[in-house]
Amino acid sequence: MDRVLKRKAKGERPYFFEDPNVDKLVSMIMGLAGETSVLMDRVDTIEQLLEKKGLLKISEIEGYEPSTQVLESRANRREIYLSEILRIIEIELEAESLEDNAPYSSAVKEVEEG
Amino acid sequence: MSENTSVTEQTNHRFLASTNHDEKARQDFVRSYKEYLVKNIHAGNRERYEKTIKPKFEKSQNREPGDRFEVRDLMVKDPYYQMFSSLLRTSQEMMWSSCQIPVEKRFTALNEEIHLSNGESNQGTLKLDENLEVPRYHKAVDIHCQPGGYHSEFGENDASPGMVYDRAVHIYAMGQMGPFNDDMGASIVLWLKENHPDFKPLRILDLGCSVGHSTVPYCKAFKNAEVHAVDVAAPMLRYAHARAQDMEAPIHFSQQNAEKLDFPDGHFDLVVSHILLHETSGKAIQNIISECHRVLRKNGVMIHAETPPYKGMSPFDAFMLDWDTRNNNEPFWSRSHEIDLDNLSKNSGFDLGKKIETLIPSAFQIEKVKRSEVFQGGDFGGGGQWFIYGNWK
Ligand SMILES: C[S@@+](CC[C@H](N)C(=O)[O-])C[C@H]1O[C@@H](n2cnc3c(N)ncnc32)[C@H](O)[C@@H]1O
Repeated sequence: MDRVLKRKAKGERPYFFEDPNVDKLVSMIMGLAGETSVLMDRVDTIEQLLEKKGLLKISEIEGYEPSTQVLESRANRREIYLSEILRIIEIELEAESLEDNAPYSSAVKEVEEG
Repeated sequence: MSENTSVTEQTNHRFLASTNHDEKARQDFVRSYKEYLVKNIHAGNRERYEKTIKPKFEKSQNREPGDRFEVRDLMVKDPYYQMFSSLLRTSQEMMWSSCQIPVEKRFTALNEEIHLSNGESNQGTLKLDENLEVPRYHKAVDIHCQPGGYHSEFGENDASPGMVYDRAVHIYAMGQMGPFNDDMGASIVLWLKENHPDFKPLRILDLGCSVGHSTVPYCKAFKNAEVHAVDVAAPMLRYAHARAQDMEAPIHFSQQNAEKLDFPDGHFDLVVSHILLHETSGKAIQNIISECHRVLRKNGVMIHAETPPYKGMSPFDAFMLDWDTRNNNEPFWSRSHEIDLDNLSKNSGFDLGKKIETLIPSAFQIEKVKRSEVFQGGDFGGGGQWFIYGNWK
């Protein structure tokens, strides 16, 4: 999409936390919350239309009992989803268990000298 | 679900940028987000202040915090206030962005529609002045964070800042200014009709009209009047004229600085402005009031709608209402709320015996809208009242 308009309002942007990155995270999280809400409204529209056209009763969604296979594939999808979100925490643990904790400068030195 | 979220939608008109499903959903989210902050998060600041922050200060200093500056120094260190502010600022940025997206998508076509319609207009007029200088107080920062402000142009005959603004105001006020965003104008009209039923203005001037939200009610209420409206920003006026056409409101829009109008002396019966003064400067306010005096006829009246002055407010309330000064690019907000209105009138030659300074009820009292009834940053129109300052000549 062409962004023709300016995106930043002129003037120094205030940050409220000691670390401005916290403010940036707040902004990202609310951005994601917004896009999720857009998605929820869209799913709702689809449901409403399907019901209107007689293709589905919304109550059927509430009464829907997924098969074992569906349950399993959903669980798998959720696991991947969570691992994507929590990666930053997990890689710390991974680093510890692999003793991957040398300062980066030592790697530079090692490569330069090796 | 709370009953407070009952939705009043903005009334559509031909030039309101259309939105597809997801674009509308994105805007709806911002509105819900803002409503949620007002209803559930905002009050926590007072609680933090009253229960924890103030007592701690009193204990160490043996006195209450004396003014809003002291309150500020305490609050900016509070994690709850920090999060609240961060969320509120973010909601403002998301609001503008969600309103820009549908406009950018059809940027050229939308501008052409407006240009064409303005060319064929047969109601009211539009007079632009390429050489008019945009005042410094508008170029220092983009006021209330609209990227590019009121005045920037992003293409030929650009009206896009007006398109973005029209939609954003409805979200900003969370519908509390009514389906036409016209509550400030409508409330002054109502106040005049109730308090001065014999006053029948024949020439009316609206200063800093933006897209004409508040101007239209004067047209509808005083059918015999000739209605003029000025603004410094051409993009606002282009959009305002097209919108007014569609709403069948014959208004004469012209690009002028309210500090130096080109109307003759004694020309108007009624001069109004709506949240214009706080967006100018100390010098400009005085100039504007003097111009009001000059263009008013004897026994005419000027009326300016604003949020209420800090005078008489508790330091905490004043601090919260002052949020926008630093955090929403409203550099003159603070000072404008502390101005001596008597001096303002007097310096421009008005008779203080005929001054108006009061709170008037909002005309938009649709039952569904439950307001917070507080004047606070991020809750525009929540007070359910408008502060008016004015003077008969
Ligand atoms: C908050 S908006 C006004 C909203 C509008 N009156 C309403 O009720 O919907 C402020 C407007 O004042 C205009 N403005 C600021 N300073 C001005 C001046 N000195 N002369 C004329 N217009 C001015 C800005 O361009 C902007 O459009």
